[in-house]
Amino acid sequence: MIFSCPSSPSPKNMAAPMTLRREIVSLARILTGISHLGTTALGARSSHKKYNVIRSHLPLTPSTSFHTATVLSSKPSSITITEEPDVLFQKVSVLVKGHDRAVLDSYKFFATMAAEELGITISKVYEPAKEIDRLTLLKSVHIFKKHRVQYEMRTHYRCIEFSHITGCTAQAYLEYIQRNLPEGVAMEVTKTAMEKVPDHILEPMWKDHPIEDKPSQ
Amino acid sequence: MASHSSKVFLCFLGRANVRGPGLQDTLHRVTYSTAQSVNTAAGNRGPPDRGGRGPFTRKPRRDPGEPRTEKMSVDQDWTAVYPSATPFRSNAVPLPVRMGYPVKRGIPPEKKGNLELIKIPNFLHLTPAAIKKHCEALKPFCTEWPSALDTDAKCDEHFPVKSESTDYVSAGPSVRNPAARIVHLKVKMSTLNLDDHARKKMIKLVGKRYCKASDVLTITTDSCPLRKQNLEYAMYLLTVLYHESWKTEAWEAEKTVADMEDYSWEDSQSQKNILDTLVRMKVVGEGEGEEVREQLLGRREVQDYKDSVTRLKNEGESEITMLQYKDAVKKVFSL
Repeated sequence: MIFSCPSSPSPKNMAAPMTLRREIVSLARILTGISHLGTTALGARSSHKKYNVIRSHLPLTPSTSFHTATVLSSKPSSITITEEPDVLFQKVSVLVKGHDRAVLDSYKFFATMAAEELGITISKVYEPAKEIDRLTLLKSVHIFKKHRVQYEMRTHYRCIEFSHITGCTAQAYLEYIQRNLPEGVAMEVTKTAMEKVPDHILEPMWKDHPIEDKPSQ
Repeated sequence: MASHSSKVFLCFLGRANVRGPGLQDTLHRVTYSTAQSVNTAAGNRGPPDRGGRGPFTRKPRRDPGEPRTEKMSVDQDWTAVYPSATPFRSNAVPLPVRMGYPVKRGIPPEKKGNLELIKIPNFLHLTPAAIKKHCEALKPFCTEWPSALDTDAKCDEHFPVKSESTDYVSAGPSVRNPAARIVHLKVKMSTLNLDDHARKKMIKLVGKRYCKASDVLTITTDSCPLRKQNLEYAMYLLTVLYHESWKTEAWEAEKTVADMEDYSWEDSQSQKNILDTLVRMKVVGEGEGEEVREQLLGRREVQDYKDSVTRLKNEGESEITMLQYKDAVKKVFSL
């Protein structure tokens, strides 16, 4: 199936109408100046593609040199584009949990604004009900069973759901969101990826390989 | 050595004095044998400087000066002041912020030296201007969604297989979460190439994983340690189910009425009942035997009755089905 996908910044020598996968060479480099992701990402992608197109040769730092001073290249990091078809997510749901409502409100504002800037469709933003974990413990170290003390832990939630997002965009956006997650806040990301029916399920194999007439075990 | 140690003592006492007024009472009560009295130590600012010699000279303390906020202009670049996540600095944030509990009907304490403002995570590095800058840098790494797949219906039509998995991000001793390996594979049975027998066999094989209302088969795998492995295992299960359901085994011929998924009226108790009743009512006239029954079966009222009973049994009781049954019964008995 070929879809007309007009990706707006289309590279100069790309003619195939399939959705492209862009290589995140060093996203971290742009944000915080640490470059330890570039090598591993590039190495993994290069293995399985039929058409190996644009390959820019960056000064690849070995992954063990994390603690040594890395030289930031003066030219901007180039983007590698491979022919591997992009993963498509029908729904990506981000649930953040924390003990403080104000922090979650600020984070929600940040996440929604970032999504709007990057052009990601937000389908729903809502606040699931908070959960309170209560414990009742003895107040004293020894005896005094009638005197207790109660503690509670409140967990507040916020959920942001995105729909129709590609794999590259999701990867870039989620990494940005997760790097700016404040302390004391946890996140769960549920992704629903869409795939076609695989080729081996289109037709039953018994047509090509008829079974002999023997009793099954 | 004794005098030196006493000077060190005084140094500590002197510092303690400067910090809080309450400590002075305790100092007066404490009996130390010191060369100098406590009062003279209170007057000094630190130990006596020995002219720059010796290991215990301190740097002269400078005045803090005016806070940086006074020198900030209104149109400065805030992203340069707070480029990344940093704790709150009261002399670098030009906002008159107050935080804390107002003790004794007072007001919340000011921002200078306020621990509450330092403890709470702040978003000063993520102002709208900063977010815009970051997103501009991220835009080259994003791809567009194919415009042909704008509705969910089209997505389901072209990509019917959905795989769902969850990632977890939290602080703790370990980055890993074992729940992240779980994969749910969802397929709509109508999209698979199955004939009637294969469909029924597949539903029987999967059991509870099939939801009749939404026609969705859900395969959940968590037996492998990695998500990739679980996904491949789920696809393998789907493949095996598909191919096995097209096979017809020898023992499938022993399927009884109790195994049937749908109700079929032929050779059922309901058919026998209605035919017996009609024969007894002598609707056709005189005559017994098979031809009479077959003649009765061919009648339109009996066919309608058959449809209504089948519908009742398969779909369950509702207003429409009950009314249809009532009408059919009335017609058969010509009431």
